[in-house]
Amino acid sequence: MIRSLSPDVIARLRDIVGARNVISEPDRLVVYESDGLTAYRVSPLAVVLPASTEEVSAVVSLLGREGVAVIPRGAGTGLSGGALPTAGGVVVGTARMNRILSIDEADRLARVQPGVINSRLTTATEPYGLYYAPDPSSQSTCTLGGNVAENSGGPHCLKYGVTSRYVTGLTVVMGDGRVVELGGAHRWAAGTPDFLGLFVGSEGCFGIATEIEVRLLPLTEGVRTILGIFETMEAAGRAVTEIIGSGLMPAAVEIVDKATIEAVEASVFAAGYPTDAGAALVIEFDGTEAGLDEEAEAAARCCRANGAREIRSASTEEERVALWKGRKKAFGAMGRIAPDLLVQDATVPRTRLPEVLARITEIGEEYDLKIANVFHAGDGNLHPNILFDRNDQDEVDRVEAASKAIMTLCVQVGGTITGEHGVGVDKRQYMTLVHNETELDMLRRVRRVFDPSGLLNPGKVVPDPDGAVA
Amino acid sequence: MADTIVNGKLAAALEAQSDRLLPCVHCGFCLPACPTYNRLGDENDSPRGRLHLMNAVVEGRLDPASDAFQTHIDRCLGCRACEPVCPSGVEYGALLEVARETANAARPLPRLTRALLTIMGSRPLRSVVFGGGRLLRTLGLARVLADRLPKSGRGGELRQALSMLEASRAGSIPPGPVAHGARGLPQREGSAVRVATLDGCVQAGLYSRVNRATERTLDANGYEVVSMRGQDCCGALHAHAGDLEGARRLAKRNIEAFERSGASTLAVNAAGCGATMTDYGTLFEDDAAWRERAERVAAAVSDVSEVLVQTGPRRGAMVECSVAYDHPCHLMHAQGVVEAPLSVLRAVPGVDVRVVEGADECCGGAGIYAMTHPDLGGEIGEDKVDAVRAQGADMACTPNAGCMMQIGSGLLRRGDDTGTVHPVEILDESYRRAGYYR
Repeated sequence: MIRSLSPDVIARLRDIVGARNVISEPDRLVVYESDGLTAYRVSPLAVVLPASTEEVSAVVSLLGREGVAVIPRGAGTGLSGGALPTAGGVVVGTARMNRILSIDEADRLARVQPGVINSRLTTATEPYGLYYAPDPSSQSTCTLGGNVAENSGGPHCLKYGVTSRYVTGLTVVMGDGRVVELGGAHRWAAGTPDFLGLFVGSEGCFGIATEIEVRLLPLTEGVRTILGIFETMEAAGRAVTEIIGSGLMPAAVEIVDKATIEAVEASVFAAGYPTDAGAALVIEFDGTEAGLDEEAEAAARCCRANGAREIRSASTEEERVALWKGRKKAFGAMGRIAPDLLVQDATVPRTRLPEVLARITEIGEEYDLKIANVFHAGDGNLHPNILFDRNDQDEVDRVEAASKAIMTLCVQVGGTITGEHGVGVDKRQYMTLVHNETELDMLRRVRRVFDPSGLLNPGKVVPDPDGAVA
Repeated sequence: MADTIVNGKLAAALEAQSDRLLPCVHCGFCLPACPTYNRLGDENDSPRGRLHLMNAVVEGRLDPASDAFQTHIDRCLGCRACEPVCPSGVEYGALLEVARETANAARPLPRLTRALLTIMGSRPLRSVVFGGGRLLRTLGLARVLADRLPKSGRGGELRQALSMLEASRAGSIPPGPVAHGARGLPQREGSAVRVATLDGCVQAGLYSRVNRATERTLDANGYEVVSMRGQDCCGALHAHAGDLEGARRLAKRNIEAFERSGASTLAVNAAGCGATMTDYGTLFEDDAAWRERAERVAAAVSDVSEVLVQTGPRRGAMVECSVAYDHPCHLMHAQGVVEAPLSVLRAVPGVDVRVVEGADECCGGAGIYAMTHPDLGGEIGEDKVDAVRAQGADMACTPNAGCMMQIGSGLLRRGDDTGTVHPVEILDESYRRAGYYR
């Protein structure tokens, strides 16, 4: 491991990106020691903030020649430690690469730099009647480069699909600094290998996307939102199964459980959900106006048939915001009932939701932890929120053990260890739960194709060959 | 050791956030709201980064005298745009003030900041400095001198100060005749709500016309405006700079003066002062003798626009003009007041109100920031001036003295001397034309 960068390397980095955009004083690196997952802290040797593909390429090839690891970072909002620095590595941040390069109204495409914030792309394309569909909960701050790396999802990805469905082309700086073009809406020959598909979701281990071409959708004409209040989580789960099974195509189906409702209602974000309810279900339909009312009514019937004690519906934007409030503010509200929060992420087959949730409650009791559940019920993506206090080491250990139990449970019922937050460092140890050694080896070899020297985001995603986790 | 005590205060302030379950969870939602992060891209210059630096000092991992802590805590505008977007509700503004107190104990404030705070905190010094300033402004010398000073490097601070002084001239509200046959307002019947008004330091020194307009428009809306003898500067600039003792000294004078006035409401026409005064309770959190009194005054403080909209405001005569309106951060983010000043403007027939694009972002004025950080404050200011000019309005309008001068000086640099006005000035002109002041 390299312990420090030579003054010569720092000087050359400054030549490439400008002195102001190289941070190398140890005191100023403290801020970069974690991303959105604060359980881990590692200070990098330096942070470099380039502004263009050329600068990224020059920085990465210089560091490659010096044998220094490179950790790509967007807004640092990831929850699996994907942008956690590696000891002896240099963070290459995209904060200054925040320009929208072009919006092609006719072809419904946009080309952006990786530091562009997700929701700012939609703000910029709305005047053309277009929007960018994937909507992670952090969309007001997370970057499109980070979305590409994590193949991010969001509530409306149930109907619209995740990031990979919208990325049509990438300019990528590989591990040795060379620049390649992957895909491209007009230049990718159908039938040839889909490098783009390989790259999206590679968590910064394959290269740094320095330009991103994405597909845009026309703004939806109408939207209907209903909120179902249920006595039990099981009843809400059955309603979801029936809604999807009946052939309806909701844009989003989200559930919050009793513990979450209690947290939200006790906070300043109180959304007016009844606190004695077992679960609240938010269902949204969008598209052309015709038929929306019928769809919403059909979903409401499914809820009633499964014992919903109350249905609220929204047709104006104001009412809609009110119904979503309890779901959208859930994370912030949980910060207000416990000092620390671990947002877990896993996926199970939708039909197994009720039993998995019951089992998660048992796991919480077993380890004496409060667990509140918020999830994208439509696609079985769970977010158990484990509440704790980091100053209590015993509790921290129990959080770790409970996390492992939840992951094991989800895999046992046919699910997997992440739905949208990525593997990063946090889930790396669980990769062996879902992949055998042959599959993992395949992953390692694909990674080497893009990054022969293995200096890009090392220590992430794939466990070491002997099964040891660094 | 003094600095240990001050570090202890930062530790206690951060601990209090934890106890109130408002700790930073490092989610990063504040990053895009931060004007310095948006321009520099360095997370040390983001709210999350600054909170991380504060925590590192408390954990003993970072020396409060270090360049990192000093520079990045100092470089914050204090605009508090990070507060409304924080899902955990971190009270960033209050933490920043304690962090600055900690930073100042480790390394004294720069001379310019100390000088400005001394002037603002002393009535006699203020009257001399602002008296001289008004003379320079009247004689047109502020502009001449500002034009002669170098654009950057040393002297940039003075140039900015002179250009802000020049920008405090009256804006270009079109003059109009008093309506034919207009009569004054009828005598008030019964007892009226008694309102005291804050004169403020900069407002009293350079914007007495806004203070008079404040009093006249309140009176025309049925309030009984009473004097608040013995009042002083609100202490905002001192608190923002981390001179919390200085802020408390001034706050006590205002608390006593308000209590003596017998008023139930304290109307403030500067967003920055209002934000600090509505937080007087927090300023005296650890002072049992003053805490309750401070909280009572804080609860009585309202922006003048909020007071006016409670009773209307009464409609006046037509004033045909267009204004590019910008939200002061300390009204929008710190006090959550967005609509009231717009309602005041809309109560004037003929006014075309255009809210500038990005009105929720700081103008770079930020108290004394424009003078202490002419480069970054100037860069942020240039973007604001672009946004203001894009509206193509007759004049800029914003209810805070600091923002009025910052935007005004940016406009002057572009050779645009249409000036900047306070919403109550337009309402005042409308009332004058309507003959309410006869």
